[in-house]
Amino acid sequence: SYEHKVNFKKSKEACLSYIQDAMLQKQWERAAEFLTFYVESLEKDFSREHVNPSELIWRIGSEILCHHSQSSVKEFNSFIEQMKTLGVKRYLKVCLEHAFHLLCNGLIDEAYQNLALAESWRFGEQTTLQDKEMKLVQAYRGLLDYYRWSKQKNILLHSQDEFEDLSVEQEMHSCFRKAAVGLKEIIKIPGVWDLFVKCYVDLLEFYGDHNEARQVLNEYAYNSKFPANPNAHVYLYQFLKRHGESKKSLISVLKILHEIVPSHELMIEFNTMLQKSKKRKKRRLGLEVIFAALDYAGWKENVKAWSCLARQMKQIVVSEKHLDWIKQEWDTRKDWWPAFHFSHYLAKRNWQENESLSYEKALVAGILLGKDCKYFKYVSHRGCKAQVKKFRILKKFVNKQKLAYLRISG
Amino acid sequence: MEFPAALFPAYFGTGPPREGLGLAPAAGWGEHGQVLEAGLGRRQIETSFVPRRGGKGESWEPTDAAAVPLLPPNAGCLIPLLTPRDVIYRGIFHRKLRRVRSEATLDFTKQLSHFFVDHPEDAFGTLGQLLHQNFYLGNSSLGKQARECTIRMTALMEEIDRLDARRGCPQQYPVSRLRWFSHFCRDWLFEVPLGLLADNVHEELLLQWADLLFDDSLTGGALTWLPSEDMGAHMGCLVYPGGQSMNHLYFQDVVLEELPRAQGPPVHFELNGRIRQVAAACVDGEDFVGIRSDYHCGVWRVPGRMEAAPSPLQVIRTNVPASCLTVSPHLPGELAVCTQSGTLYLWNVETGLQRLRHDPHTMFFRDQSPWRWSDFTAHPRILSYADRTGLQCLDSRAPERCHFDLFKVGEEACCQQNERVMLPMYLGKAHPSQHLVTTQFSVYVLDERLPMVPLLKWEHMMKAPPLFACLIPGDPGRSHKVLLSTSRTQELLLLQYRGKMWGWGSQSACQLAGPPQKLHSITSCLQHLPTQLPHHHRLLQQRLGAPAAGLSAALHEDQIQESLLVFQLSEAGDVFCQRLTHEAMQPPQQLVPTSGDETPAAPGSSPLPAAALRYRHWLKAFSKGCGEHPQRPTFSQKRLFTRKELKYLVEPSALHQRARQQLHQAMQEGGCIQHWDILAAQTPPVPQPREPAEGPDTLSARLTAAWSGDWCHWWEERSSFNMVQRQRALRERRRRQKRARGRRSLSASFTSSLTYQSDLSDTGPSLPLSPSTLTLEPASSSPPSPVPDEALLSSQSLQCRGIPKERRKMLRDYLSVCVEGYPELLEPASSQPSIALSQSQPPIPSSQSQPSTQLSYSQTSSLPSRRKRPRMGF
Repeated sequence: SYEHKVNFKKSKEACLSYIQDAMLQKQWERAAEFLTFYVESLEKDFSREHVNPSELIWRIGSEILCHHSQSSVKEFNSFIEQMKTLGVKRYLKVCLEHAFHLLCNGLIDEAYQNLALAESWRFGEQTTLQDKEMKLVQAYRGLLDYYRWSKQKNILLHSQDEFEDLSVEQEMHSCFRKAAVGLKEIIKIPGVWDLFVKCYVDLLEFYGDHNEARQVLNEYAYNSKFPANPNAHVYLYQFLKRHGESKKSLISVLKILHEIVPSHELMIEFNTMLQKSKKRKKRRLGLEVIFAALDYAGWKENVKAWSCLARQMKQIVVSEKHLDWIKQEWDTRKDWWPAFHFSHYLAKRNWQENESLSYEKALVAGILLGKDCKYFKYVSHRGCKAQVKKFRILKKFVNKQKLAYLRISG
Repeated sequence: MEFPAALFPAYFGTGPPREGLGLAPAAGWGEHGQVLEAGLGRRQIETSFVPRRGGKGESWEPTDAAAVPLLPPNAGCLIPLLTPRDVIYRGIFHRKLRRVRSEATLDFTKQLSHFFVDHPEDAFGTLGQLLHQNFYLGNSSLGKQARECTIRMTALMEEIDRLDARRGCPQQYPVSRLRWFSHFCRDWLFEVPLGLLADNVHEELLLQWADLLFDDSLTGGALTWLPSEDMGAHMGCLVYPGGQSMNHLYFQDVVLEELPRAQGPPVHFELNGRIRQVAAACVDGEDFVGIRSDYHCGVWRVPGRMEAAPSPLQVIRTNVPASCLTVSPHLPGELAVCTQSGTLYLWNVETGLQRLRHDPHTMFFRDQSPWRWSDFTAHPRILSYADRTGLQCLDSRAPERCHFDLFKVGEEACCQQNERVMLPMYLGKAHPSQHLVTTQFSVYVLDERLPMVPLLKWEHMMKAPPLFACLIPGDPGRSHKVLLSTSRTQELLLLQYRGKMWGWGSQSACQLAGPPQKLHSITSCLQHLPTQLPHHHRLLQQRLGAPAAGLSAALHEDQIQESLLVFQLSEAGDVFCQRLTHEAMQPPQQLVPTSGDETPAAPGSSPLPAAALRYRHWLKAFSKGCGEHPQRPTFSQKRLFTRKELKYLVEPSALHQRARQQLHQAMQEGGCIQHWDILAAQTPPVPQPREPAEGPDTLSARLTAAWSGDWCHWWEERSSFNMVQRQRALRERRRRQKRARGRRSLSASFTSSLTYQSDLSDTGPSLPLSPSTLTLEPASSSPPSPVPDEALLSSQSLQCRGIPKERRKMLRDYLSVCVEGYPELLEPASSQPSIALSQSQPPIPSSQSQPSTQLSYSQTSSLPSRRKRPRMGF
């Protein structure tokens, strides 16, 4: 009857909400109990209106089995095997998740077998989602092949037995081939593939295929269909650096990285590289880079960055050339840097927590804001009081450079 | 901050969002998402992997069985909140409709009838009182004479009752008498035109219903915890709204103990509107607290040291309701304000407002909602700007040119169809470049350095969209905690995520740590309260079930353990809290039975004694408050004057006594008062007359004319002729204006105003009732009489005001009804009619008075017509 159906549906929903509640309160035993009731109720449910609840059972069941105090990997495996047979659409997803679970529990060989099995699975025409999942399965299998390969490589590097080496080498090559096939496919599709790209490039580099590696990295960094991933640029930069590429190409890679992520930690390296350059334009860029990095809250207490800035500014002020560089950088910042970097409160805190940071900052503040700046005054006063020599020199230096301050602020 | 060396693999697509399942019941469970090699680049025998979700988290266990009240109940707030039952039609009509489409029907008629019943004075005030005599409510039949001008309402009421009983009956036939009555008085009985009123009620009802379904004005929450700078102090300040309409702002010092308790009375400010959001940030050791109400935003500064009082800094007013207010964590006194018109302002207390963006349309695709949000980012000059379709970052130095998309509801973040941004939040305290975005389905963690691709995504499975979030940053190596809360369903969820791996110093990709955990809602304490009488229980249920309005948390460490205190604010203004304690990881060998029933938080367990005491105190205060105001308040305009004001009149002064004596004497003698000498001595200085420079406004002039019966004439006069006369009057007035400067005589202005008035009508002088003439009342005179002057009621005075004979009775009835409202006042007031007349009445040009009469102000009181026979009521 209609009423019966409604009540049945209601009690099923109530049961589900009990499960949800128990899980959210980490009462896994209780949740497991309710789940068995729920599954029983499904067995008696002959109504055809509801969608297949297999996904629900899979999700809830695996979550409970992950946390249940009495569950084991064996149980988990048998549960997942049942789940795999329940739905065709979700087969690959369940396989992937199963492999992930095994990997996180350190069962790498089992995971490999699972992935290999999933890879050979065929069922009619694949949907785009299944296609994507299949590519992921292949990629992860390739990744595991890569780890096997690097293991063999380590054995080969450390062993002396030549006869054994031959078989290892053979196995290593087969691993390489499998890994390369698995990894190559997915990194062509737009996405974030840091792990796969790294491994693939490592393989190619080992076998001396630098051109292919460079192409892969270039594609990964500069293909506009891919997201603007800073790591792609970092990998390319590291690759070029490893292979002793010219300063110019390194700088051009880092310049693009600077444009997309001005707050990247490589900016200090970039700055030092530019500062060493003989070209005025590059030194100018270096100043821009370090100023831009220090705009970010994450860099506020970065001693390295402050010392880079302090060094370069000191150079400029002493040489009395290019004071306009500082002036131009300062013009866009003078309304907020004093409150952001050089407040009295920060002077006190920096002095207490990090003396060398306060020294570098005080130098910058002294040049930019003159000797009456709160930050400089506090730190130099404290420094002199504590009889630290460099602070006395700092005070003298800033007092001497009054003219520079006037030109920057004016 | 370093960027993670490798991110979790993910596909990246562009385009519109995919079709999804919507709110799927278990969508957030059982997935690892992706895995990543742990300890990349480290030499290890066996590679190990970490999952994106499902890793190990910290264990935080609630100590109490339910949320415990922190503060006494908000005493002012006793108006029951609106429930769906109030506005939804529940009848046969609804049931019939539901079969076709499951759409709610607003019970418009019920609301309108509520309005008529609750506010009859507003609905039918004037005409109801005018016609009071013509409605008969008794049971006996009317006499023949009375029947001519009186309707017997009892029959009508019976018909209505019968109609009510037949509600839902399929065979409804119209009742002729009712139809006749409604046709007859539909157009004029209502004080406000019925169509207009109905439109407004309907509009309001729609608004209320929309708010009931989803009220986004509360986004962000109105509760904030300001920790004290000194970490060892175990103290802090809780900022929250309270009062009857949540327009009082409180800063309450709270001591963190086993159960946190309030210390001392709160610092309190009364504001001009309902407080929707309280936002705060700590810059340079000082807390800046931003308060948002609909049309005002304000900022307070709370000095870092304790015992220093918070001080308001600045308030801005917006023409369109503000939807967001966030405080900069970088620069002192800087805030971001968004309004519903799609405008974003950067508000600096020192330099004022800077408009960064104005666009009434949404960013990525079209969406109806006017809600906008903004927050700060890692760069102090770059702000994020959000609407329901996504997030953008824009540089305040060049907002038009420099901006990039941070998040978009689309394939980029694997969103579902109909997914909308609910609350973005800057997670600067945990990581300088991370942001949290919640939608009604999922929660995302984003990094500014990698826009569009979420670092973390998790389906939160909450029944309502999360509107409040709170971040508790973890120390390096520990997980960051995020609390999410919904408004209407009071759900509260604790999530943990980690940006660094266990034991590694370097940054790693973001992972969700541990399963999410549900915390107690405010309603959950209902079962731990002592048993109540049923109606009290219902009241309590209503009160505790009020939607949540804010969320905040404080981390508290003492020697023994670390605890997390979660504060919740309800829309009724109550503040509850709960405590969670951190249990350090136990060695896995040690088998501890973690059966759910043994944890202290399991349902059914009883609260700790201290908590039980809190419940009792709270309940006592609550029921006391209920007793004081048993009903919902009604607003009446019956009492226009306070008792104090009236008392002033009740005590007759010597002046009044003498005036009364004189009047008595004059009445007994039947003569007239020749010299009003008491007054002459005491006359207040004649005020500078305010002449009707603009003339009475046309509406009141027209009404006056209509009332006195010569509306036609007025119209003619207005439309066509008399130009010459008017010009003359105008010239005259100008001349006089020049002359009259510094002169304190009424005469000239009086004459001119008289001529002007008399121009209006030929048949008789009209009644100057326009506001400009009424302002002639001297300011220093006695307060205006609450009772209409008796003299007003006399037929003579009515006649002298040119009111036609047939209307006089009606007016008299009407005015007498007014008087009946103040029976106890009638006597003293009536004893001094002429004083009232002379002082509070505008000079009334009578038919006898000549325009040329030169009268000083003190003499106006002795106009012959009034002096002759002052009437003392009926």
